[in-house]
Amino acid sequence: MLTIKNLHASVEDKAILKGIDLQIKAGEVHAIMGPNGSGKSTLAHILAGRDGYDVIDGSVSYMGENLFNLKIEERAHRGLFLAMQYPVELPGVNNMTFLRESMNAIRKANGEGEVDAVSFMKLVRAKAKQVKLDEKLLKRSVNTGFSGGEKKRNEILQMAVLEPRLAILDETDSGLDIDALRTVADGVNMLRSEERALLVVTHYQRLLDYIQPDFVHVLVAGRIIRSGSKELAIELEEKGYGWLLEEAAA
Amino acid sequence: MKMHGYRESVQHTIDGLDQGNGDWLIEQRRAAMERMAELGFPHVRQEAWRYTNVEGLLQKAFTSTPPISDSSRVIVIDDMLEEPIAARLVFVDGLYHPGLSTGIEQMGFKVGNLRAAMVVGDQSVLGSVGNLSGMGDHAFAAMNMAAQQDGAVIQLSKGVVIEQPIELLHITTSERSGHAQQMRHLVELDADASVSLIERYLSAVDDNDYFNNIVCEINLAEGATLQHQRVQQESNRAYHLCDLYVNLGRDACYLGVNAALGGIWSRTEFHNRFSGEGAECEVDGLYVAGDGQLMDFHLDVDHSVPRCRSREHFKGILHGAGRAVFDGLIRVGADSQKSQADLQNANLMLSGNAEVDTKPQLAILADDVQCSHGTSVGQLDEQALFYLRSRGIDAYQARRLLSLGFAGEIIDRFETDSLRMQIGSDLEQRIRF
Repeated sequence: MLTIKNLHASVEDKAILKGIDLQIKAGEVHAIMGPNGSGKSTLAHILAGRDGYDVIDGSVSYMGENLFNLKIEERAHRGLFLAMQYPVELPGVNNMTFLRESMNAIRKANGEGEVDAVSFMKLVRAKAKQVKLDEKLLKRSVNTGFSGGEKKRNEILQMAVLEPRLAILDETDSGLDIDALRTVADGVNMLRSEERALLVVTHYQRLLDYIQPDFVHVLVAGRIIRSGSKELAIELEEKGYGWLLEEAAA
Repeated sequence: MKMHGYRESVQHTIDGLDQGNGDWLIEQRRAAMERMAELGFPHVRQEAWRYTNVEGLLQKAFTSTPPISDSSRVIVIDDMLEEPIAARLVFVDGLYHPGLSTGIEQMGFKVGNLRAAMVVGDQSVLGSVGNLSGMGDHAFAAMNMAAQQDGAVIQLSKGVVIEQPIELLHITTSERSGHAQQMRHLVELDADASVSLIERYLSAVDDNDYFNNIVCEINLAEGATLQHQRVQQESNRAYHLCDLYVNLGRDACYLGVNAALGGIWSRTEFHNRFSGEGAECEVDGLYVAGDGQLMDFHLDVDHSVPRCRSREHFKGILHGAGRAVFDGLIRVGADSQKSQADLQNANLMLSGNAEVDTKPQLAILADDVQCSHGTSVGQLDEQALFYLRSRGIDAYQARRLLSLGFAGEIIDRFETDSLRMQIGSDLEQRIRF
């Protein structure tokens, strides 16, 4: 589904990613872990198409297409979804309207008709219940005045409604209490299927207690220095990143 | 056209009045004509007109000749409000049109038109003309006093509460191309009276050029409440100037919300004055300016007595080569302790060619007050655009949603549903997002 080859990227001439190789197949859940400043979020942003990063070298192919030839919205149309670390507040843009515009844009791009208002309301209400998002927040402006936890639940709601093919979660667990963390994990687990893939970017092992990854990759200073099974995450939690850094340096 | 040309035109208007009957305010008109000549037309060297050139307007040489009253004319109004209303006063080409107006007879209060009051010399109406505005602070306001042709009269007695809104609907037809219309509205609410007023300006044809020169005097006695929704949707070649004078007695409440969308040149001046303690004044507004358009709002809110509260929130969307001016002044006198005021102006620039001159000012002489002001000029947030696009919404649609969201805060303050809808669809038609 996603193949990243030798990806080098920089921000304002500062090299952040220094040769990433990663392959994600349908049905798999991958976790990327690493200390702060290792380039985890940069990788997530580049995949979603955010401005401000220069790709210096390497390639990313998604569903057989060169990802870099696709506009931000075209990536979303093809099922790529980024749950943001800091969801943006959109004053004056109604949450429900936003979700409907989003869903219909994606449907339209895939040659499907617009979803009718009644079924849409029903769907969103059911999903909101699943992710334990207060229904009142659906009528408010997107993320405006939401608490940190509510913003993250709102991201998971969008993911649950849009049912992406490849969902990337960028530190969705940061700043969440244990209940919110469980809800987020439940939302992710509901989405797991043979046709879908997930890339979970996280600083802590905590989230991976609830979302069992198939593969764990450790990103340090712009390189994946170790890949393994979910046991690697447990090892990291126990020993920290230090030993890996030493090994890498040796 | 130079001043002497305008003076002749006004003189001609005055000479044409039926001076044998009624009371046509001849003395005031003559005095105002002199005042107009004395003041001279506003100039960019004057602070209040620094960013608002009137040369284009003067070159048009709009004449003030009153239209012929013809109540049998058929006028089709496209955008009628869906909500029930207490009364509708329709002004076609600046003259009251009884055939299109409704609900006047059933009312338990005086609602009618200025011309009718002049015909019969009704001093209970005419005695109030100019009480708040005087002869006018600039030549156009003086011109209005001198050449006033008609306008709405709404007088509510003590304690009268009208639940449904009263609408003032102004329509300019192609027959008035090249003309100026001098309308003067009078709204007087006695103690504890309350009403909601909708004021709309429409053009029957898109490329109609004319000059609507309006003065509106609003006097609110103790405890009176006026809700005032104003929507300016003139043709794109029209000139629109409106001077509003609002006087608030003790515990009175003025809740105004404005949308200025049409016209090639549009200026609205609010002169609001607190004359009794405990009164409250809200003036909010949205202006949208595109290629060739100038939108101008001037506020002068005078906290001349203690313990009054005012809020002025204006937002502007500038697109294409649109221009806007916002000049908001809050004055708090030395004795006006416990005054509260909040003046805000935010501008969204959708194009690099648009321009806004914004000047919010607080002039505070008292020491125990809560006053704040803020201004911003910015573009759409890149992060917000990315967020929308990452959810599959294309760049144009993302800009549209965010711009409408920006305007939404003000649009939502219009209480009447169909006005909100009309403003929304007008924005969609006008703005290249």
